Amino acid sequence: MDRLHRRKNLRTGNSAPPSAPHLAPGRRLVLGGIAATLAGLPPARPTLAQTTLAQPSLPQPALVQARPVRIGMITSLSGPFTALGESMRAGMQLLLAQSGHRLAGRPVEFLVEDDLARSEEGARKARKLIGQDRVDLLCGVISSGVALALRDVVTEARTPTFLLGSANDLARGAASPFIVRPTKTNWMLGTTAARWAHEKLSGARVLTVGSDYAAGREYIGDFAATYQQLGGRLGRQLWTPLGSADFGPLLTTIAAERPEAVYGFFAGSDAVRFLRQWKEYRLAGRVPLFGAGAFFDQEDVLPAVGDAALGALGTFHQSPTAPASAAFNQAYMATGKPLPGEFSTTGYVCGQVIRATLERADGDLADWAKACGALFSAPVETAFGTMPFDPRNGQAILDIHVNEVRRGEDGRMVNTVLHTYEKLRDPGPDA
Amino acid sequence: MRDIPLSRAAPLAAALLALALAPLLAGAFHLRFLAEILLLGTAVMSLDLLVGLGGLVTLGHAALFGTAAYAAAIAALHLGGNLFLVLGAGTGAALLMAALMGVAIMRSSHLFLLILTLLLGQVAWEVAFHWREVTGGADGLRGLPPLSLGPWRLDGPRALFLLSGGLALAAYLLARSFADAPIGRALVGAREQPLRMSALGYSIPRIRFRAMLAAGGIAGAAGSLYPFLNLYVGPQSVHWSLSATMIIMLVIGGVGSLWGAFLGSAIYLALQTYVSAYTDRWQLFVGLVFVLIVLLLPRGLAGGLTGGLAGSLAGVLSRRGRP
Repeated sequence: MDRLHRRKNLRTGNSAPPSAPHLAPGRRLVLGGIAATLAGLPPARPTLAQTTLAQPSLPQPALVQARPVRIGMITSLSGPFTALGESMRAGMQLLLAQSGHRLAGRPVEFLVEDDLARSEEGARKARKLIGQDRVDLLCGVISSGVALALRDVVTEARTPTFLLGSANDLARGAASPFIVRPTKTNWMLGTTAARWAHEKLSGARVLTVGSDYAAGREYIGDFAATYQQLGGRLGRQLWTPLGSADFGPLLTTIAAERPEAVYGFFAGSDAVRFLRQWKEYRLAGRVPLFGAGAFFDQEDVLPAVGDAALGALGTFHQSPTAPASAAFNQAYMATGKPLPGEFSTTGYVCGQVIRATLERADGDLADWAKACGALFSAPVETAFGTMPFDPRNGQAILDIHVNEVRRGEDGRMVNTVLHTYEKLRDPGPDA
Repeated sequence: MRDIPLSRAAPLAAALLALALAPLLAGAFHLRFLAEILLLGTAVMSLDLLVGLGGLVTLGHAALFGTAAYAAAIAALHLGGNLFLVLGAGTGAALLMAALMGVAIMRSSHLFLLILTLLLGQVAWEVAFHWREVTGGADGLRGLPPLSLGPWRLDGPRALFLLSGGLALAAYLLARSFADAPIGRALVGAREQPLRMSALGYSIPRIRFRAMLAAGGIAGAAGSLYPFLNLYVGPQSVHWSLSATMIIMLVIGGVGSLWGAFLGSAIYLALQTYVSAYTDRWQLFVGLVFVLIVLLLPRGLAGGLTGGLAGSLAGVLSRRGRP
């Protein structure tokens, strides 16, 4: 049902009549007509242009107050990241509902577009949100490939964007003055995992195993680099293709290697299958397993693997047991959802950062450099904790938790914070 | 010189008029969207040469298109975005790939052809996905320089639209003349009566190889401009699922009509872009349109528009009337 309403105007404060001087209604209608003839579809949103035509124009100050702020979200609602995309949207919607669909005094219109986890689709949807729907700001994205493809699109269009992919390059070569990054980079998690391993395992021989794609390579690569730098010893490095169904040969190899510990990264269904088979092959509890990121995600992985991950350690910027997340946990579970994982929290935090940006800029993003400066001048309180930003690349500086998967009071598995590395800053342009 | 019949000149003039008018009326997003439709449409049209004329259903067309896109992007990253350099690099790479594919398929048909092209396409995708140093792997290549032609930068939506429109038009005329030339006729003959064609002394493998080269060249030209729409190229553009999408576009537009390819890609992309804003289940709509067209308009929208609409509807109705 909710999907049908996705494009509905989410504006709640109807006290002030809407007016949209930023649209040229006549041109929109012509455009819509052309699109309709070409596409054989009704014009995208003629009603908006028509209603704004009918409204008398208001004096300028009232206009700024009344004009809704349009937020466009690009996320994956079909394709391999569907569940994650739905969580991200739910997190953002929760924040908007809590804010009464008003941010910094302006009513909010929230538009969501599906990128299918494909870069070209993502770029086209971004251009649509910017060029046709005239959003004031963009947010979202799960796949780093899509995020990298959007970088030049939003920079060229000068659209403020809160970009959520996690490839290291997003904080480095692909950083942009129009992009704020209220989430982690893969480096933050890989490098803290190596520091933890060095401190607790005192240079043990660690075998690595990971999904062979961009994020997997970064999680494993950054771990290996930092671990070796600290003087740790690495065992074999094993890779499996994304979407593997059978980890049997891999697990047999691991058992034969007899490593002192295994560091891994898998995401989504790969993580679920790996952990189940990890238990079936009786490696669980015998070989210490640790990992990074969404490997032991609270919402997408742990409920599906029983106690297979019990005792495993993971570095993550998100943890349901982190104090900062408590209020969000309550609110999220009150909507009938499970204990939140990475993407619902990320969607919510993204909303919190957008809210802070708008509030500090008095609801006006016209001068983005100024708004950005105000955002970077002081940390934002979020469900990830107190979040300062690195003004060089707009990258959040995050607390990274070491989580242990423990049995909670009601018997379910919970990522429990053991230790927190505070204020981790991506090397950014220095890398 | 033979005269161009009016029935052919009129649509051509209409297409030219549309190309000239669109930049005056459409906004930046729509121009870029139209450019994407035209480029993908050109690739689909080149697929029509194989499928429509030769009956060679291939799942490797995205490999040609995507190889060109990567070659053009890599050339632009290292040598700059000169239009002719980019077109040359992309088309050349696609021709090489097409030659490879042509050699592989020239003696096979039907299911084996489908599988062979699928496998070759997967090989191309694996290379694009794993050769990180050159192709950027899963992240793709970003930060391409904009296209340029001498002193002019061709990076605005209007320039990109006109460029795509010009390319589409040139490609259409080329494909049309290929279809009308003896080689095109021979390709149809090889589809309809392979035994008779062999008996007449035609070499069917050679005909197929040449058709593959022609289709690869056109798809490559379109593919080499494609990365410059977003200044990005990623492994999805080589993936076989894009080949399947192209076949769907072709069937929606009309197999064998050539210009229907543009119609098909316009409808598919519009459905994907606009319906997906309202529902997550947009693929259901694509499926419904596809099924309806296959049932009601077996020659696609192009066949339906050129007078077949009334006839095929009547045909369906009369068939339904029969016991």
